[in-house]
Amino acid sequence: MLWLYLHFPHLILDHLRRHHERRQALVVVEGSGQNILQVCPEARTLGVRPGMRLKTATSLAPDLTLVRADPAREARVLEDQALWLYRHVAHIVLCPPAGILMEIGSMLRLYDGLAGVWSTLQRALEERQLTATLATGYTPLAARLLARAHKGECTATREQLTNTLARLSLSAAGFDARTCTRLQRLGLNTLGQVAALPPAELAHRLSPQILAHVQKIQGTRADPQTPWQPPRRFRQQTEFVQDIEQASRLLFPLRRMLTELEAYLCWRQQDTDCLLLKLHHRHREPSRLRIRTSGPEHRAETFLGLIRLRLEQQPLPAPVTQMKLSVKRFLGRATPGGPDLLGDGQDLSEAWHTLVSRLQARLGNRALIRLSPKADHRPEHAWSATEVQRAHRADPALKHHHYPDRPLWLLPEPRPLTETPQAWLAGPERISSGWWEGQRVQRDYYVAQLPDGQLAWVFRGVNSHWFVHGWFG
Amino acid sequence: MSEILTTLLQDARVWQGHRHTSTNQPAELTGYSRLDTLLGGHGWPRGALTECLLDTPGIGELYLLLPLVRRLAETGRTVFWLNPPYIPYAPALARAGVNLEEIIVLHARDRGDFVWSLENCLRSPVTGLVMAWPDTLAPRDIRRLQLAAEAGNNLCVLFRERRYSEQSSPAALRLVLEPDGPQGLGVTVLKRRGSWSGQRCSLTLAQRAGLSTGTVSSVVRGPWPAPAR
Repeated sequence: MLWLYLHFPHLILDHLRRHHERRQALVVVEGSGQNILQVCPEARTLGVRPGMRLKTATSLAPDLTLVRADPAREARVLEDQALWLYRHVAHIVLCPPAGILMEIGSMLRLYDGLAGVWSTLQRALEERQLTATLATGYTPLAARLLARAHKGECTATREQLTNTLARLSLSAAGFDARTCTRLQRLGLNTLGQVAALPPAELAHRLSPQILAHVQKIQGTRADPQTPWQPPRRFRQQTEFVQDIEQASRLLFPLRRMLTELEAYLCWRQQDTDCLLLKLHHRHREPSRLRIRTSGPEHRAETFLGLIRLRLEQQPLPAPVTQMKLSVKRFLGRATPGGPDLLGDGQDLSEAWHTLVSRLQARLGNRALIRLSPKADHRPEHAWSATEVQRAHRADPALKHHHYPDRPLWLLPEPRPLTETPQAWLAGPERISSGWWEGQRVQRDYYVAQLPDGQLAWVFRGVNSHWFVHGWFG
Repeated sequence: MSEILTTLLQDARVWQGHRHTSTNQPAELTGYSRLDTLLGGHGWPRGALTECLLDTPGIGELYLLLPLVRRLAETGRTVFWLNPPYIPYAPALARAGVNLEEIIVLHARDRGDFVWSLENCLRSPVTGLVMAWPDTLAPRDIRRLQLAAEAGNNLCVLFRERRYSEQSSPAALRLVLEPDGPQGLGVTVLKRRGSWSGQRCSLTLAQRAGLSTGTVSSVVRGPWPAPAR
């Protein structure tokens, strides 16, 4: 088995930086805020180094932006990386806090050799503007140590790898400080020297743990790894170093997130029709935007257009500190079928979805309705309105149903008849129904012409009052 | 130069008063032969605004458009109803044979949304017809809509109050609708491309309430004005 390890020296900083248009010096400080843990290249040119005191660093670079270390966030960001790596490699193991291990021995034929894998990954890393060191090894631990020591090379030759490993210093070989001192006092300075000792003596004179460590590097002891499984839902999160006050400035990071989503959907051959965007504010409940498209969709541009419309409609209630995008609902991508060979029909259905989604985004989902008749004798219950979703086919049984004569306009509420009709044209039609629901209706309906020429659908209720219920428009 | 002139004449944007030109502007038949004759044998102009000016709803204005709606919905074009004053009643539409799948009712809150939605609908290739009931519209908005209808080559019918007949409007076709005779509808052309205004015809739309034309005179005696049966 050949393993490849990716080590991200400052993953959080890369993650934060890629969502910003402007480059600034960034550092990660530890929880208590005393020491600096990670440094971005901009800060490094200013002379800031990891392990430095915060006071020293701020005096070197007064404009330094500080980010507090947060293990939960680091884990999440690491998983984001696994998500895109999964497109290239099948077997992935997360190695928190900052590494990802991949089994690539089985992928070599696909990529036509190690060089193919290596360059694919490097290109992908460059695309995402991530800094990482790569290393190969015949055991997970060996790959990991080489990557962390920046000794990784694009090679699969066993001797070369063993030689590089043997030259590793003790601290780079992953021994803790106490063990290092002990080994150095014995005159051992490199991993090769330790590995050359007889195993039984090593366990007896030093400790079994050291032997286990060495054997795991050499591959003579089992080192099982739990493979990572991609989650069933899509999640992306952006933290802002500075709060965002204008909705338009959210669009830049949004575009990147949506592009990721598009790629993710393409890889999984899925579509979605519902996005959830959660905007976190500093002293407020987060605001949630549910963006719905009228049909299955995967293109970032479409989503972005809809979100832009929504953001124009409702201004931000407070500055935004964090933005989360999640998609839970996936729909299998339908193959464009149908009788149209030239694809005209497909285009129209896309145009239909675009139009309806745009209208829904601006007017709200409830503002668009589709009508359908319902089997009920009471006129006000004989129809129903449904939100417009995708183009669905209605029950064909309803098509050949026989409907009584009804006016084209129905009044939302019956309204008292105030004028004496000029002529009575048809009627009465008695409708008596609904007693089982406590909404009893007993009415005699007539068609009457009012003095100003309208044809009205009027009824007389149980208490002999007259009402207009519709117009024959 | 003469080519441009010919185009203008063919589009009926410029026309000669001594003849009612038969132009080749795209149109949709109305389904009423009398009305088609009135509209130069074409029907509703495509890619243009039509205004129907009327005092009150319920005089047959929907029935006038029903053949068109039915035909468009049958061919899979979407018909949008924007801000209808009452509820378009689904059982009546189904009875008339309209494919309800293609009917979408829209409600816009304010004038900005109204014009925006209307414009978007008109520019889309999926739209067959947009029927809209505006509260108020500035001439500028109507001009915008006219351009959108031209861009999308779509039909748009605006139902407006009759008092707007005094104002000028960029709409290509303006009709005044009024009740005429027993259950009939009188249509007067206020403006149309390629011809004079002022022609008028009367359509019998009694069947919209399920009344056959013959029985109109034989009125069913209603209990009005004596409420007690």
